[in-house]
Amino acid sequence: MSHVDEGTLHAYLDGELPSGERAALESHLAQCASCRAQLAEERALFERATALLGSTRPAERAVPPFEQLRRAPRRPWHLRTGFAWAASLVLAVGFGYYLSGALQPASQPEAQPEAQPVAMAQQNRPADKAAASEGLRRRQQNSGAIASATPPPDANPRGAAPLPLDTVVRIGDTARPHEEAGVTAAPAAGAASLLAAAPSAQRADTRSVENLVSTAWPAISRGKAAALLGDRPVGVPGLATRGIRSSPTGDGTVVVEQALDSKTVIQIFQRPARSAEVDELGARERADRVLARYVGRLRVEISGPVSTDSLNKLLELVEPLP
Amino acid sequence: MPDDIAEVYRNTYPALVRFLYRKVWDAERAEDLAQEAFARALVHRPENTRGWLFVVAANMARDEARKALREKRHLTLLKSEPDATEVAPEESIDASTQAQRVRVALEQLTPRDREALLLWDAGMSYDEIATQTGLARGAIGTTLARARRRLVEAYDGGQEGGQHVARG
Repeated sequence: MSHVDEGTLHAYLDGELPSGERAALESHLAQCASCRAQLAEERALFERATALLGSTRPAERAVPPFEQLRRAPRRPWHLRTGFAWAASLVLAVGFGYYLSGALQPASQPEAQPEAQPVAMAQQNRPADKAAASEGLRRRQQNSGAIASATPPPDANPRGAAPLPLDTVVRIGDTARPHEEAGVTAAPAAGAASLLAAAPSAQRADTRSVENLVSTAWPAISRGKAAALLGDRPVGVPGLATRGIRSSPTGDGTVVVEQALDSKTVIQIFQRPARSAEVDELGARERADRVLARYVGRLRVEISGPVSTDSLNKLLELVEPLP
Repeated sequence: MPDDIAEVYRNTYPALVRFLYRKVWDAERAEDLAQEAFARALVHRPENTRGWLFVVAANMARDEARKALREKRHLTLLKSEPDATEVAPEESIDASTQAQRVRVALEQLTPRDREALLLWDAGMSYDEIATQTGLARGAIGTTLARARRRLVEAYDGGQEGGQHVARG
């Protein structure tokens, strides 16, 4: 074996030399004083560089709980454009099921997830009039589905959405008391249990679920909500709050209903977090079934007649209401 | 099948923060960016979460650096007086000047050498570094050897060139 180059010596010092090469190197070192001296030199360099790098470590801090991750760090950009973004999101709703395929997680590191719904809506609008008018028609259908007490079976554009996360989709237009008249609401089993239903079953139950919440959940004041939660209720900043209701079961769950537009209402369920459910949430997130996160000491879940991605983004924006 | 992100989070978060810190030189910002990278991973569910995270983190840090540069230029235009220098507590001056010198030295490396060194320091294997940087695996040892040598030389050069360096 000829003398050894520094790259090989560093790979050796790093423990990254394949075993065959390592054995060959070691037998060479055993009989070559010059290479042993070289190795000592490289080792000193290695240790020096490692120490220098080590002196630039940031102060060690506790790793924040994984469950907090849903609260993506907010930049000023989000705060400034949060409302405009929510508005453009409503435009994007009409194209929701065109996008449902395109918005599947893509392994593109450069992708800016928060920009996608807007960008795609803009691409579709001017570029293809047919698609645009189609989108408009569907949006009207969508509105119709929300406005009508008995929507035709195919009027729900979310029916095409393939994601299991869409189990939480409900329609929350609570400003129509006449729709609630004929419903005899059974006592609600709590928001969490509503979230577990399968999509097919859920679609059929959409009206009854909504009415269940609308009628059986009494409207409460913000102060009462704060008292129940032990903290300020949370919502998406910049959206109008249509109502705050509490669970009739007295389990402390509060729902804040906010309007994306005159026809689209999202529901933000919240209750004080119990320490034992941290693991449970972790398990659920792995299964990707529930859109939930912690905001301060509150466990927050979101639902509404928009895409899962949009709900996810909205959930990230949630913070204590002023 | 995508990795278990919670598991990757536990194992990789501190290394990712450290990696980012050497790029943005602000501990809080590094933590914010690391958390944002993980939050994006939760949405994207990449196959190779660890590698993906470091690529995303490097991109975010690069954007961050460009933004900081723009803001700095802007500030320089707005302010007639030079930036006020922060007064460090007496006991932390040594550590912070040391870190400052290492930072200056690190920034004298070529981007590729620096990246390989930071990825190694973040706990990546040669195979992973090769994947991240596009270098051949066989070239990683040589790249790291050169990076380490240049870091030490740049640091020592900075020491000698420094105006008020008290030694010994």
